[in-house]
Amino acid sequence: MKTALLLVLAGVAALAALPFLLSQGLLNAAIQMLIAALFASAYNLLCGQAGMLSFGHAAYFGVGAFGTVHAMNAIGGAGLLPTPLMPLAGAACGLVFGGIAGWFATKRTGTYFAMITLAIAELVHSLAPHLKGLFGGEAGVSTMRMPAWGLDFGSTTQVYYLTLCWVLLSVGLLYLFTRTPMGRLAYGLRENSHRLRFLGYNVHGLGMGVFAISAMFSGIAGGLQVVSNESANYVVFDPALSAAVVLNTYIGGVKVFLGPAFGAALMTFFGYAVSDLTQSWLLYQGILFVLVMMFMPSGLAGLIGMAGQLRQRIGIARLMPLLLLSIAAAVLLSMGGAFAVEMLQRIFSQDYRAMAKLAAGGAWPPVTLLARAWSPTAVATWAVPVALIGAGALLAWIGQRQLKQATERAGGAA
Amino acid sequence: MNDPILSIRGLRKSFGPTEIMRGVDLDLLGTERHALIGPNGAGKSTLFHLISGHLAPSAGTVRFDGHSIGGRTPQAINRLGLARSFQITNIFPKLTVFENIRLAVMRPHGLAYAFWKFIDSDRRVREETCRLLELVRLTSRAGAIAGEMAYSEQRSLEIAMTLASDPKVILLDEPMAGMSNEETHYTAELILEVTKGRALMLVEHDMDVVFSLSDRISVLVYGQVIATGTPDEIRANASVKEAYLGEEVAA
Repeated sequence: MKTALLLVLAGVAALAALPFLLSQGLLNAAIQMLIAALFASAYNLLCGQAGMLSFGHAAYFGVGAFGTVHAMNAIGGAGLLPTPLMPLAGAACGLVFGGIAGWFATKRTGTYFAMITLAIAELVHSLAPHLKGLFGGEAGVSTMRMPAWGLDFGSTTQVYYLTLCWVLLSVGLLYLFTRTPMGRLAYGLRENSHRLRFLGYNVHGLGMGVFAISAMFSGIAGGLQVVSNESANYVVFDPALSAAVVLNTYIGGVKVFLGPAFGAALMTFFGYAVSDLTQSWLLYQGILFVLVMMFMPSGLAGLIGMAGQLRQRIGIARLMPLLLLSIAAAVLLSMGGAFAVEMLQRIFSQDYRAMAKLAAGGAWPPVTLLARAWSPTAVATWAVPVALIGAGALLAWIGQRQLKQATERAGGAA
Repeated sequence: MNDPILSIRGLRKSFGPTEIMRGVDLDLLGTERHALIGPNGAGKSTLFHLISGHLAPSAGTVRFDGHSIGGRTPQAINRLGLARSFQITNIFPKLTVFENIRLAVMRPHGLAYAFWKFIDSDRRVREETCRLLELVRLTSRAGAIAGEMAYSEQRSLEIAMTLASDPKVILLDEPMAGMSNEETHYTAELILEVTKGRALMLVEHDMDVVFSLSDRISVLVYGQVIATGTPDEIRANASVKEAYLGEEVAA
């Protein structure tokens, strides 16, 4: 408990120090990471804690975003609230809309619940382009951050601190919520809503309440994005955003409170860092999700927990080489995989097909990757990913064997 | 005090053309322990489902403590003061034993949907949870994951959760299933102890328990009550022997 508190404090201190360490571009990425982390945490209240898998959470993020943008533009641009409090407008809109949508969605459970959330999100998504007055059409609605409380909110640093405060406050509240009677009931809802009914609880009202609270925090995340971007566009209702929050949450790990936030921050960072380098970012995201689901259903946070358990069982001295081995294996495997994907992506791209047609005799021209030209027909080219993947697989195999030996020895000693 | 607290008249339930309950009349007195016995498929569990709101009756009335409860929701019936356990263990399997009981204790303490205070800081809820743990001898298992416990321990947990709301009427559906002799004995004592001053309706296959525990016994056969009486009367009843006990003796 004490170490957890220290870790959290250290994390907060590190986050507070970021503006002194990062460039403007990276600081902007950090803002997006924080917002994604809050969105995933809000989503996980519904999905991980209360066991309701929503496929349309972009709707509440988007409603929060538009609520905030209109609040900022209200009263002739002066704003309904001082700028630092603007996300409250997003929270209110998320809460109200989430309450209404939740009333319908939580009438059913499981697959039917998921389908209703999907339908509601699609409804908003297809309606938004037609309501130009509310959602601004293709241009969206733009706004300005007004100075307030002696701050002008003109610099990225100030926006970063504003976002950080809201995200820390919201995630903190979400954590405290798990300790309240209603938060405990959310677990009961996930485990056995049938039994809750026979203990005298109104399960529909409870589900609706949890849904609305999750939507409220999603609305705050949407509001923060508007404060940061100074605009809102109906693109926020895109199903891709609903999908991303599901993927991020599961990649991070639904069982651990900070897992989804961690997953979302990581994936947002990768998206930022990698999307300029590759056109296959969505493919990598998908592959990563499938791998996580197949090999570590408890997510990246679960992986850390597993390492902790292993350390207790076989000791840090035996764990360290294993850990290094598995990291090396993972790096080699992903390098090999990425090389193969990038080569194939380039070969199958339209530009390249056109070029190959023009080339004399139908010979395939070389492909540039990592500042080097590779001939697609040369064996050496394909030997690179094969060798990388082979070496990675070998390391993984050795690691697995050593792990087995180590746990057997620990088991024998115990 | 010994007016009926629960009174069932002409209760029928059909699933399509199949009639499961064919006109049940039954009274549960305010402080009696009343067992319901009958061969498999007689409709004992269905009767519990109809009383507790799990199923809505096709016809007939169920009156509980002055309210007509036929067809009401389970939560409404539970709040009036009727709690039940389930034949197939019905707990929160991935939560701890403590958490399971605490969830059951919270509502009667008016903490159903509170999100403005912490559950850990509520002394009454904690004390009541600990008292119930002690009562069903699960104190040492408080931190265990409920779904990973032995079956008999899960049955004890069910009883504790049923008692949590301090109900006027308790329906226990095979509370001793899967318990050892010693556990059965302890649980029978426990049931005797905790049902003082309230009414109990019990479905149980262990006839020793049924006959030693009950003030009255009703025999349910093919959706109808064929006899109600004291244990001695039931033992002596010819049609009961034929329909139910006779089969057991012959087998």
